Amino acid sequence: MVKRLLIIDDDPDYVTGIKSILDNAGYAVEVAYDPKAGLQALQSRPYDLLLLDIMMGRGAEGVMIARKLRKDSKLREMPVLIITGMREQIAFLFPGEPIHPGFVKLDELVEKPVEPSLLLEKVNHLLQLAEERKAVPA
Amino acid sequence: MTEASETYTFTFMKEVSSLLHAADGNPFPMCVQCGTCSGSCPVAAYMDYTPRQIIAMVNAGLKDQVLDSNTFWYCASCYQCTVRCPQNISITELMYALQRYSIWKSRYKEDMIGPSFSEAFAKTIMRTGRTFEPILAPSYIFKFKLREFFMEIQNATELMLKGRLPLLPPRIKRLDNFKRMIRRIIPMGGEA
Amino acid sequence: MKEYAYFPGCSLEKLAIGYHQSALETTKKLGVKLRELDDWNCCGSTTYFHIDELLAYTLTARNLAIAEKTGLDVVAPCSACFKNMFFTQSHLKKDPDLAEHINFALEEDGLQFSGDLRIQHLLEMFTQDIGAEEIKSKVTNPLEGVRIAPYYGCQILRPRRDHDSAESLENPQYFEELLTAIGATPVDYPLKTRCCGGSLIISSRVAALSMVRNLLQSAVEREAALIATACPMCQVNLECYQQAVNQEFGTNFEVPILYFTQLVGLALGIPEKKLGIGKELVSAMPVLAR
Repeated sequence: MVKRLLIIDDDPDYVTGIKSILDNAGYAVEVAYDPKAGLQALQSRPYDLLLLDIMMGRGAEGVMIARKLRKDSKLREMPVLIITGMREQIAFLFPGEPIHPGFVKLDELVEKPVEPSLLLEKVNHLLQLAEERKAVPA
Repeated sequence: MTEASETYTFTFMKEVSSLLHAADGNPFPMCVQCGTCSGSCPVAAYMDYTPRQIIAMVNAGLKDQVLDSNTFWYCASCYQCTVRCPQNISITELMYALQRYSIWKSRYKEDMIGPSFSEAFAKTIMRTGRTFEPILAPSYIFKFKLREFFMEIQNATELMLKGRLPLLPPRIKRLDNFKRMIRRIIPMGGEA
Repeated sequence: MKEYAYFPGCSLEKLAIGYHQSALETTKKLGVKLRELDDWNCCGSTTYFHIDELLAYTLTARNLAIAEKTGLDVVAPCSACFKNMFFTQSHLKKDPDLAEHINFALEEDGLQFSGDLRIQHLLEMFTQDIGAEEIKSKVTNPLEGVRIAPYYGCQILRPRRDHDSAESLENPQYFEELLTAIGATPVDYPLKTRCCGGSLIISSRVAALSMVRNLLQSAVEREAALIATACPMCQVNLECYQQAVNQEFGTNFEVPILYFTQLVGLALGIPEKKLGIGKELVSAMPVLAR
């Protein structure tokens, strides 16, 4: 079955790039360009994986979305790949300091710009882990 | 090409709109171009484009001209336009949204003092929980013309003599808690 | 004795130390106690933190949560701090999702925000809660014959929308009433709610200097001997950059800029030194010695 992915990212140019990579790899990709539309999409239908930007809307609203997922019994099982350029976007993120993920059970963080091969590798890996978790009910 | 640029036009207004709180005021396309904002703005004379023009340009998708202008960095946050707008558009918030957009996309000009002053200000608070005027000075003073430079030094000296400049940076007591609090909002510096 | 939670803000620690001293002295004399918030942090003012609003709300919500613990009404003497507190509370109340997110962060400091504070600017507390009549009854040294321009500035009035009428937004009168109560003569100051330039004094110097010039010019035309302010940003722009205005525009302004609390304090007979008078760059002594 074709895996359904959702991208929530407010940068249309960037989205065009990663969407075409994922389309070509055979995924069914949908896009929400702001956090509100993103949450609506997540609540209306199931996705196999979420690609999430951090700095959107009024600030780090990506973090808000991730925290909301964690509180939802169904959505918290969905793997999340956080793709962010926040180190360059935020004035006080000092160079060299790491950015932490760990908002939901299965998440990983990569920084923009992402190499196409790395993007596909991460997506694949997270989808696989999610399958394994489903196979072994807790 | 035509089709692509039309999509783009549509997107810039939406992109900027998505940076504002949904409940704040009416959408920009409701602007009737009455000019009350520009007439009320105390800084309009110094802006590349007046607030009324900026709204029209955002709606028309003139992204590059908007981002290359000084208008939104010259907003003094006085909210005169916002409270007088007959269409209830949050014009000050639009200026902030454009600042956010230009900072996040590194689209501001090198010689602007606004962005580097903002950066120094934010860093100081993140480190100590407080502001400390002397540490902010280097973020802007070297961009001043010579006369402004000496005026600033003279001012600082006089304020110092009157006991109005702090010598040591203040900091809050529960600074560790404060920093962990920030990390729950901004995922920086190690584990959550 | 009525007590208030008091959020001084960063400027009042040093740059506006006279505002801080006079706020404490006058309230004491008027039977009001200001209890400074424990371990407060910077509210973010108006620079950078509108770029990251989530962070801005967090900074201010911490102070609000500390104030809530006291169970008291809260006052802020700085208009920027006041505006941030006022709007953080109203935005978080309108957006429970955001409030929940911010509260999750506040847990790190053992705090919770609920959003039920009564938030006032210090000038409002003087005029609404204490009242002009009460202040008048305690005046021992009325400032007779001193013509004063009441400068409200921006953020004490805007962008809040809880005014009684459009008139009270565009042409408020409470500052004038306070000045009358202490025996002074408030002048009709047409630019009283016009902006001082705020942080543009750093980022867009020439624009801000012209704004300051207009405010000084208007006060002088109305024959005001001094300008009364209710915000440290306004005070610093009008006073510390007066010389820069004179250099830039070839003017020779020498208008003292005092905080309203300093003027009230004088009228209540509090010694100048205790009110921080004498720390101005443009001395108020010649005007006050008359």
